[in-house]
Amino acid sequence: MASVAAAAIRPALRWALRRSALSNCQLSRTFSSTVRQSRAPIPDYATPNPARPTHFGFETVTEAEKRERVAEVFTNVAESYDRMNDLMSFGWHRVWKDYFVSSLNPGFSPLTPGLDPRAPQHILDIAGGTGDIAFRMLHNAHIVNGNPDVHVTISDINPAMLTVGKQRSRSLPASQQAALSFVEANAEDLTKTKPLSMSPPSTTEADITSAIPDNSVDLYTVAFGIRNFSNIPAALREAHRVLKPGGVFACLEFSKADKFPLLNTIYKEWSFRAIPLIGQLVAGDRDSYQYLVESIERFPTQEDFRDMIVDAGFVVGSNGGYEDLTGGVAAIHKGMKPRA
Amino acid sequence: MLLLCSRAVHRCRRAYHSYDHPKSAGPFNAAEEAILAAAYRQVPEHGFTDAALAIGAREAGYLDISTNLLSDGAFSLIQWHLVQQREALAARKAALFADDSSDPSAVAARVEALTWERLLGNTDVMGRWQEALAVMAQPSYIPESVKELAMLADEILFLAGDVAVDPTWYTKRASLSTIYAAAELYMTTDHSPGYFDTRNFLRRRLGEANEFGSAAHAIRQWVGFTASAGLNMLRSKGMRI
Repeated sequence: MASVAAAAIRPALRWALRRSALSNCQLSRTFSSTVRQSRAPIPDYATPNPARPTHFGFETVTEAEKRERVAEVFTNVAESYDRMNDLMSFGWHRVWKDYFVSSLNPGFSPLTPGLDPRAPQHILDIAGGTGDIAFRMLHNAHIVNGNPDVHVTISDINPAMLTVGKQRSRSLPASQQAALSFVEANAEDLTKTKPLSMSPPSTTEADITSAIPDNSVDLYTVAFGIRNFSNIPAALREAHRVLKPGGVFACLEFSKADKFPLLNTIYKEWSFRAIPLIGQLVAGDRDSYQYLVESIERFPTQEDFRDMIVDAGFVVGSNGGYEDLTGGVAAIHKGMKPRA
Repeated sequence: MLLLCSRAVHRCRRAYHSYDHPKSAGPFNAAEEAILAAAYRQVPEHGFTDAALAIGAREAGYLDISTNLLSDGAFSLIQWHLVQQREALAARKAALFADDSSDPSAVAARVEALTWERLLGNTDVMGRWQEALAVMAQPSYIPESVKELAMLADEILFLAGDVAVDPTWYTKRASLSTIYAAAELYMTTDHSPGYFDTRNFLRRRLGEANEFGSAAHAIRQWVGFTASAGLNMLRSKGMRI
């Protein structure tokens, strides 16, 4: 009897499922651009889906759950984030970040005879909460290259990290502070960004959102952030959307040092034994740092990540599209959005 | 996907000519070529620099920041020049040698003519070539530069009709590479009309190499003959060798 009833409602269920799949499509269409519509359809894996399984360190969770738990991790570590980075990498993360920024050389714009050909540069620093990359960008552009026409937007999903960055930015020269803005946004959907407000948000303020328009960014950077994203392909496509044709996607991220077995062994020992311990002693939070090392382990290899970048529509350099730092402990990936 | 393929091709790029395999793709993809071709036109004015690259990128319709696609920066521009000039040699060969006979006795003369032709390829950027040589000598760029030099030597000998497959395959390429590099350096400080001094320099060096080559050949022949004669003599005396 029950089976007959089930058989009777099955077509109805199927219809309902199809309907929900359709409405999902329409949902993604609302923030897709004309450029994207002319391209190949977005594959299913690159559409954020809160219910899809992903990994949180070595655990398997849903995308929505990962977002929450990553938020929790970074809210916990925000205060001690910079001190911990120094302790964990012996200060070496500064060398990587300096190299990353100087190799990108933001603000470099040679003059030619005649009209000033320089166009303002807009840099979007995703997951840039504490401003490490953004402040270096501004220094390189304003001071090294003498080009004040460079604006940096720091975007982070986590207001706690942004608040730390905002406080640190107070020690910058006024001209550089003026070229900075802080927004709270999810990198998988940059159509909804919220400017950071230092006072507790009132109900009206919380609703103010604005979109980062299509083809508006010269340089999109994400340093030590992309492995925390719930849906990396979606974030890469969103990067492709906001970048101008010719704009550059640049990512600095922990990677694999498999090419050097000895270095790799020492590195793995250090990261799995020492880092959670340092986290416990210094920041009083072992779990967050356990997640950190596990998430590094789960991040794709240099080649696989490069293929994901190509898959999102970027052109990568012909010598591989990535550059290893310190034998592959970290790697820089760069891609350019081709001209339409 | 296309880029993956080009990378795979790039990795298995051969350093010698083959009649049986298709010609391998160059070291740059389409977007890089567009930027480099435009940037190369800026070299006489701006040199092999990031500025030339950025202005080139602008002219090709890209942004200043787009030059980040070229991970080696200014060295990519030098590499572009080297590859372009090397590949242009095959086309110039027809103009150089009216008769297409592959007379083995003319190989030395053809090598000289082709090497000279390649050196003349640097004249447009001669004012900037010392800078370029300095960049090429930087430790991180030495492997690529040496590889490119080896490919040039191979190209010249191939186009000259050298078909030897004995150990001189290596010695010829090595000596031609050395001579070419020396002549290129000599040329950067040569102010004689039409680079007359460089031409003589090249002729002298190639002549020396040929002389040395034939002397080495004679010595090797003599050593080989004496050794086998000595061996046979010992055998005739009943020694079990």
